Amino acid sequence: MTEIRAPMAGEPPLLEVDNLKVDFHTATGIVHAVRGLSFSLGRERLGIVGESGSGKSMTGRAILDLIPHPGVVTADRMAFRGRDLVQMERKERRKLRGRHISMVMQDPKFSLNPVETVGNQIAEAYRIHRKAGGREARERSLAMLEAVQIREPARVYDLYPHEVSGGMGQRVMIAMMLIAEPEILIADEPTSALDVTVQLQILKILDELVSERGMGLIFISHDLHLVQSFCDRVIVMYGGKVMETLPAAELADLSARDRRHPYTRGLLGCLPDLDHPQAKLATLTRDPAWLA
Amino acid sequence: MTTAAISVDKLNVSFGDSHVVKDLSFEVRPGESYGLVGESGSGKSTVLRVLSGLNHEWSGQVAIEGKSQPKHRGKAFHRAVQMVFQDPYGSLHPKKTVDDALAEPLAIHGIGDAQARIGRALSDVGLPASFRFRFPHQLSGGQRQRVAIARALVLEPPILLLDEPTSALDVSIQAEVLNLLSAIRKERNLTYILVSHDLAVVGHMCERLMVMQFGRCVEEMDVEALAARKPQTAYAQQLLTASEGFRRAG
Amino acid sequence: MSDTSLKSGGWHDWLITNEPGSRRQARLGQLYRQWLALRRNPAAMAGLFIVLGLLLVAAFAPLVAPYDPLVQSLGERLRPPSSANWFGTDALGRDIFSRVVYGTRVTLVIVLLVVITVGPIGLLIGCAAGYLGGWVDTVLMRITDVFLAFPRLVLALAFVAALGPGLENAVIAIAFTAWPPYARVARAETLVIRKADYISAVRLQGASQWRIVWRHVVPMCMPSLIVRTTFDMAGIILTAAGLGFLGLGAQPPIPEWGAMISAGREQIFDQWWVATFPGLAICVVALGFNLLGDGLRDVMDAR
Repeated sequence: MTEIRAPMAGEPPLLEVDNLKVDFHTATGIVHAVRGLSFSLGRERLGIVGESGSGKSMTGRAILDLIPHPGVVTADRMAFRGRDLVQMERKERRKLRGRHISMVMQDPKFSLNPVETVGNQIAEAYRIHRKAGGREARERSLAMLEAVQIREPARVYDLYPHEVSGGMGQRVMIAMMLIAEPEILIADEPTSALDVTVQLQILKILDELVSERGMGLIFISHDLHLVQSFCDRVIVMYGGKVMETLPAAELADLSARDRRHPYTRGLLGCLPDLDHPQAKLATLTRDPAWLA
Repeated sequence: MTTAAISVDKLNVSFGDSHVVKDLSFEVRPGESYGLVGESGSGKSTVLRVLSGLNHEWSGQVAIEGKSQPKHRGKAFHRAVQMVFQDPYGSLHPKKTVDDALAEPLAIHGIGDAQARIGRALSDVGLPASFRFRFPHQLSGGQRQRVAIARALVLEPPILLLDEPTSALDVSIQAEVLNLLSAIRKERNLTYILVSHDLAVVGHMCERLMVMQFGRCVEEMDVEALAARKPQTAYAQQLLTASEGFRRAG
Repeated sequence: MSDTSLKSGGWHDWLITNEPGSRRQARLGQLYRQWLALRRNPAAMAGLFIVLGLLLVAAFAPLVAPYDPLVQSLGERLRPPSSANWFGTDALGRDIFSRVVYGTRVTLVIVLLVVITVGPIGLLIGCAAGYLGGWVDTVLMRITDVFLAFPRLVLALAFVAALGPGLENAVIAIAFTAWPPYARVARAETLVIRKADYISAVRLQGASQWRIVWRHVVPMCMPSLIVRTTFDMAGIILTAAGLGFLGLGAQPPIPEWGAMISAGREQIFDQWWVATFPGLAICVVALGFNLLGDGLRDVMDAR
């Protein structure tokens, strides 16, 4: 396990979030999707785990201003390298997004434009953020495709999204999101739609980006095994609230299990485990006090 | 020697040019729970669709409880084999209540006493009677999957085909549904075939399993071999390692 | 918009409950929920009021209309709108308001006859073609294509020309020309539905093909067809009016709106009211159905 790399002394964290809230105003009342989330992100892999409805995806989207209409995002402070996004003009915030903070979604099929070749889409992303010429954009895109371990970048460049497999599509998405060299990447279930072996290849790419380029990664997932083996730190969310934040290694540590929040313990307990077969799996009892 | 609940011999399935299942043979004993494991494109779900009679394009031998099955199955077959699908949001008719969904198989097979049977089916899967007239949109994913299981059980089949029954559910809900499936199997002595990409789930639910790749059987093994991390083949080993999470090269 | 939660009436609670006690209560609750959603859409409610108004006027035409729509009075011909004749009188001295009022009956008869013939035909052909596939699909869809290849009014004209003018023949002609789009819509929906797991589940229960189409596929196609029908009402009314205008639909002295416009066209510059009021009636009713259809689509597509 690599040690947790805290931000260098004197350097502000890449991202600070203080009391983030996402509310949806619907016909039947207000739905609180995220209720007061605070964390800071350094040059590390930060995992956010939770079940559906925990608000983990909403958190990622809120940082990027991607909450759809009836949703309202509020935060006391949301700072990218010391610059507060909340105080910032919408236009300026939009510039930051994509250039410095980027996102990879679960299914590349819905995030890629179906009538444009994947290469052109990557080049386009580069040109928007770097104001570069067509030639340079193409060269950078090919290099990027190679960086995400696509074997024949020149061939893949001219393919349309429907012509690439799920794993390759996800790599293309990552290439597209990374070409502007963002400092923060938010990956929302980036590998959930993929086979395990492909999944590990994608994670390897993300891992190298963090360790080699010093990028900050927010890894949103429902998969506890994956998060505990891949991330440095983990935020466990339930019902829009943080249950606990802990080093990933402690999640895997069986002897430390008693010190865990009951929700975390419950989640770990109900996973079937090859090494500890049980006739009946433990089920999770939810305590309303967790949300109080 | 007892007759196998399910026996498949030299099964081949092709869609156009692609040969998705190749010379597959296996047997499942009565009361056994058998796992089919593989990545996407391994043909595991196709095998299930052939067994269930949803897929007519195949060659080879398929026998259920000793009886060789034609491509188009008769009514008796459907009383012997039922299936639970992966996506609880797609497997229930959006415009039919729970009651409608459970009444339909009884009506098709002309089984009387529907009221009592539906009530019993609901309580068997742990749903309160007050859910009986709900529409699917009024149910959570886990509750929908319980309804789907109740629907499969209402004809009291001895064999249940499970196609990734929990992969669309949260882990805590997965545990509840897996417990339910185990309890029902024990109580009724059912035979299961469970298709899954999750080795831990298969390890928990099954006694034997088959690892598939590109439409072929890579390896058949007991769950003990799986738990001991002792598969015979490289691919099965690779799959097992991959399922244990991310490892940094070092 | 009134807040529905303020009404703590027993009916509301009984309908909105998450734990209905019977099949009937569940269905009514479903309808009630859709009604609540529809009520939040002002345009759809405007459409609904127009359609309801049309129904009421048609039902109580003798009470609403001040004069007999057929009685001629040549001394009173071509009078402009006044307190005695709200919409004026036509070339034969008939009260135009009364004729417009009775015209609602003609319009409704046409619309209803067309809809009850076209809906089921389109639905059955479309669902059968989509679900059964193969040669059934090919044959049915090629027939549909042949009908779709002609502009609707032209095809209707040809039919009426062959059958002879008259209201019944106009209805038959319109019905003949109106079903293909319904079949197309139903088939497209069916192609999606047939792949759904819930259809596989019924197949696994051993249901016959007709049972699957009728009990499981058709209910899923209904919403889009109902919506399509309300949109189509406007078109049907216009086609009927068009046939009437050309003298091939309802025959004099039946007060059909299209025929009334046709009769008024010679005086359009000097006595504008003769053609204008039936025209307005067509316009309002067509708009009403369209608004309602739009609202219904929003309500019924949301699950």
